[in-house]
Amino acid sequence: MVEVSPPGPVRHWWATHPNSAYVIRRFGIYVLTLWAAITVTFFFFRLIPGNPIGAYIQNLQQNYAYNAQASAKVVDHYKEVFGLNGNLLTQYLHFMRQLVFHLNFGPSLISYPDSAQSVIAGALPWTVGLLLLATIIGWILGVAAGAFVAWRRNSPISEAATYVAIAAAHIPFYFVGLLLLFALSFSLAWFPSGYAYSSDLSPAFNLTFIGSVLYHGILPALSIVIVGVFGNMLGMRQQMITVLGEDYLTFARAKGLMPWHILRRYAVPNCYLPQVTGLLISFGFIFNGNILLENLFNYPGVGHLLVTAIQQLDLNTVMGITDIAIFVVITAVFVIDLILPLLDPRIKYTR
Amino acid sequence: MKPIRALGRRLRGNVRLTVGLVLLFIIVVIGALHGVIIDAIGKGQDPTAIGFGQRWLQPSPQHLLGTDQVGRDVMAMVVAGLWTSLKIGALGGALSTIIGIVVAFFAAYRGGWLDSLLATTTDLFLVIPTLPLLIAYSGFASHISLFQVSVILAVFSWAGASRTIRSHVLSLRTRSYVDLAKISKESDVKIVLFELVPNMLPYIALGLALAVINTIFALVGLELIGLGPSGIQDLGLLINSSVQNGALSLGAWPMFVAPIVLLTAIFFALNLINVGLDEAFNPRLRKVAGA
Repeated sequence: MVEVSPPGPVRHWWATHPNSAYVIRRFGIYVLTLWAAITVTFFFFRLIPGNPIGAYIQNLQQNYAYNAQASAKVVDHYKEVFGLNGNLLTQYLHFMRQLVFHLNFGPSLISYPDSAQSVIAGALPWTVGLLLLATIIGWILGVAAGAFVAWRRNSPISEAATYVAIAAAHIPFYFVGLLLLFALSFSLAWFPSGYAYSSDLSPAFNLTFIGSVLYHGILPALSIVIVGVFGNMLGMRQQMITVLGEDYLTFARAKGLMPWHILRRYAVPNCYLPQVTGLLISFGFIFNGNILLENLFNYPGVGHLLVTAIQQLDLNTVMGITDIAIFVVITAVFVIDLILPLLDPRIKYTR
Repeated sequence: MKPIRALGRRLRGNVRLTVGLVLLFIIVVIGALHGVIIDAIGKGQDPTAIGFGQRWLQPSPQHLLGTDQVGRDVMAMVVAGLWTSLKIGALGGALSTIIGIVVAFFAAYRGGWLDSLLATTTDLFLVIPTLPLLIAYSGFASHISLFQVSVILAVFSWAGASRTIRSHVLSLRTRSYVDLAKISKESDVKIVLFELVPNMLPYIALGLALAVINTIFALVGLELIGLGPSGIQDLGLLINSSVQNGALSLGAWPMFVAPIVLLTAIFFALNLINVGLDEAFNPRLRKVAGA
C-alpha cells in the first residue's frame, strides 16, 4: 500500500515526519478558521438590517448640515477615513489589508481620531486581569471540589452539592453579581457598588491604588468564581466518575494503596486535562457573561466598552472587540491542540 | 402505549429526570396560567397597567411581591414575563434544534470533507463569543417580532445541540440495520427519518433542552444590558428595569430576585432533564456511575 506511488521528496518528508506534518496541517486549519470567522464577522456587521453604516453617515450629515457643499466634502472625507468607500468588496479588502498589515481596525467613533485598537487597548487590561484571575481561581477550586464530590459520590453532601451545581453551573454571572451587589454593597455596604477603583484616585503604581483595584474587583470576580466553581465541579465529577470505574483503579485498590494516594496519583491526573479543554470551550460563555457583568458593575473593561460602542454606533470598535475575542479563542484552541499531546502521552498527533 | 410504559420504567429509577420533568411541568403550568393569575391579582383591573397601585410598595397581602416604579404589581409582571421567556425559549429552542439536527445528520451521515467543514463550523459557533454579534444585531435592528427574535437566537444557539447529536449519529450510522436499509436501496432521507431519528430521540431531547437553555439565556443577556428587541417583556427585561430604576438602593428586592429564581429554576429543570437523559440512555455512564 505504501509503495504504490513513487513518493516525491515533499511527500516522502510528509510521510516520514508525521508530527511536523500534523503541526503544519493544524496551523493551516488555524489560519483558515481565523480568516473565515473574521470574514463572516465583517459581512455580518455590514449586512445587518437597519444599516449601521447608513445610520452613521446620516449622523455625519446631520452634524455638518450647515453647508451642503462642505458637508458633502466632509462626509467624503470621513468615508475615506473610516474605509467606507466603494462597494462591499472594496471595503472588505481595505479592512483586511489594514488589519493584516497594520493591525488597524480604523478610527474609533467614541474618541475620534484615536484608533479603535487604542481605545480597546485601554480597556483590555481590566477585562484580562479580572477574567484571568477569576477564571483560574474558579477552575482550581472547581476541579478540587469535583474530584472530592466524585470520590465520595454516595455521601449526601456530594449528592446535594451536585444538585446545587446542576442549578448554578451555567447561569449568567450577572445573576450572582446582582444578588451579591444587593446583599454586600447596597444592604451591608461592605463593598463599593461599581467601577474599578475609587474615584478620588488616579491610576498609579502604589499600594493605595492597587488596594483600591482589588477591593473594587472582589464582587465582580466573586460572581465569576462562584459560577466557575460549580461549572468546573460538574465537568470534573463527570470525568472522574468514568475514570473511577476503570480497571487500573480497582487494581490500585487491590494493591492496598492508600485512598488518598490513589486519588492524587491515579485518578486526578487522568481527569484534569479534559477540564483544561473544557475551560477553553467555555470561553465564549465566560466572555459573554463578562460583558453583562461589566455593565452591571460599571467596570471599565471591553464588555462595558462594547455596549457603549454599540449605543454610539461605533462600528470599528465593536468589530475590533469581536475580532479580538475570536482571535483569542481560536488561538487558544490551536495552542492547546499542539501542547496537549506533550502533556498527555495517550493523545497522539497523528490519527 | 409501549413507549409510554418504557418511559415510565426509565423514569422510576431516575430521580434526576423525574425531578426535572416535574419541575419543568410546574413552571410551564404557572406560565400557562398567567392570564388567570393576573386576573386574580387585578380583581377586574389590569395589574400590569401603569398606576395600578402606589409606587415601590413593599410585599404585602395585596401585592405579594410589591409594586414597581410605576405602581405595577410585580407578581403579575413576573408571571407575564415568565410566559414570554418560555415561549421564546420553546420557539427558539425548537428552531435551533432543527438547525442542529439538519447540520448534524447531513455532516455525520454523509461524512467526508462536508463533515469536516460542518464540524469545524459547529465548533466555531460553539466556541466564539456570539453575544457581541447578537448585541450588534438587536442594537441596530429594532422593532422585530417575537418570531424574528426566536429565529435570530436560534441561529446563534444551534451549535451545542448539533454537536451532541452528531456524535451519536456517528456511532449509529454504522449499525447493521442502517446497512440493511442502504442495501435495500432506501433513499438517504428515508433512512435518516425512519431509521436514525427514532433511535436518536433521547439525544434530540437532550439537544432540545440545551437549545432552550441557550435561547432563553441569549435573550436574557440582551435584555440585561438594555439592548433587547423593543416590545418584548420577558424576565430579563424585568431584571434590567429593576436595576435601571433603582430597585437596589430602594430595597425592592422581589423585583429582581423573583425573575432570577424563576430563570434559575427553568435552567435547573432543563439541566436535570439533560443529566437524567444522559444517565438513562448512555449505557456506559449508567454502568459506571452506579448510584
